[in-house]
Amino acid sequence: MREKQLRLVLAFHTTAEAMATEKLCHDHGLKGRLISVPRSVTSDCGIAWSAPLCLRDTLEAMLAEHGVQTAGSYEVML
Amino acid sequence: MNKQNWLREHGLILLTGVVVGIAALALTALGNPKNMGFCIACFERDIAGALGFHSAAKVQYIRPEIIGIVLGAMVAALAAKEFKAKAGSSPACRFVVGLFVMIGALVFLGCPLRMVIRLGGGDLTAVAGLLGFLAGILVGVVFLKKGFSLGRAYPVPTGEGFMFPGVMAVLLVLLAVFPALLKFSEEGPGSMHAPLAVSLIAGLAVGVMAQRSRLCMAGGLRDVFLLRDFNLLLGFLAIWITVTIGNLILGNYNLSAVSQPIAHSQYLWSFLGMALAGWGSILLGGCPLRQLILAGEGSGDAAVTVLGMIVGAAVAHNFGLAGNADSVVDGVYKVGGTSPAGMAAVVFGFLVLLAVTVTHLPRKEAAQ
Repeated sequence: MREKQLRLVLAFHTTAEAMATEKLCHDHGLKGRLISVPRSVTSDCGIAWSAPLCLRDTLEAMLAEHGVQTAGSYEVML
Repeated sequence: MNKQNWLREHGLILLTGVVVGIAALALTALGNPKNMGFCIACFERDIAGALGFHSAAKVQYIRPEIIGIVLGAMVAALAAKEFKAKAGSSPACRFVVGLFVMIGALVFLGCPLRMVIRLGGGDLTAVAGLLGFLAGILVGVVFLKKGFSLGRAYPVPTGEGFMFPGVMAVLLVLLAVFPALLKFSEEGPGSMHAPLAVSLIAGLAVGVMAQRSRLCMAGGLRDVFLLRDFNLLLGFLAIWITVTIGNLILGNYNLSAVSQPIAHSQYLWSFLGMALAGWGSILLGGCPLRQLILAGEGSGDAAVTVLGMIVGAAVAHNFGLAGNADSVVDGVYKVGGTSPAGMAAVVFGFLVLLAVTVTHLPRKEAAQ
């Protein structure tokens, strides 16, 4: 059984932004994965990026540099 | 994951599926057409007919289930402070894609929800639709991975978000107080319906539950293919299992590919019709049921999509594009299906979806 842990969840306005984030993280060797947006975050049924909390600053800087907008960042037990 | 955690994580979507399944069984028992306890496409088509948008006399009735779903979703969203008026995500494209999703669904004779309900009644002709739906979703997922997007929605004044639920409320008033203004089928599927109050309550219950759980036929399969996340798919399966068990108990289960209620055995066009609906649903971000829920939550884009679907239903019946059910004429089994015009519309629909898709992919320089 996998233990739940606090993760950084980035929500996006569009699926395309989530896909772009996945590609950027892959290219930069940053850990994380696409997930269905947690229900506790929004009633939208979009796609979010889940990453270790320690990557928050790195991710935010990278996404800002590449013009990828987020709809919010959250700390969620996943 | 232990049993308690699993239930906590998936209990709501499972319960929603069970509620939808029971509601479908109850509505059928109380008068709705067989294997059509719920069908978003058929019911929107009936509404289009009741308002005189098409003249197919057998499919005209203001379905309170649709009104209930939208109002139920609105109430649930307001109660949870999740009602957000927003719009601006390629509304014209959404209208057109919604129109073709409807044409695809009516060629098959049912939306994705009715497809599951038909399967739960033992209708093997719906398997072709299921395979087509899966294929359409896979095509959509390929383009999602390539960066397809209709663009983001923006906050708009709250009144915009209440407009579509308001239209639904007006339809309810017309049905309950001024029925003489509407058209009603005297025979055929449109004449078969559960009592207004029951239909409305069932719709409200489904609207509330689907808003809370985010139930979506297309989203469930998208999440499986794209994210290996099976949560939403559990709702899809719960409906199927509930309807199957219910029909077995009620003696309505008929495992067969012939003589199924309001269904045809022209498998290729069932497959292609639902492939069109599946691909379109992925482009729109949700199946026809989900569009109603989003419209209830204040999405002007979803409202435009539903209006596109209603117009699509009118187009389908005014131009003879919708499928015809198999029937028995003078003791001879007659295979129904769609007309050459319907086949052409499905092919044209694929071209339209391809054009919408290609024009909403990231430009090469932006993707790099």
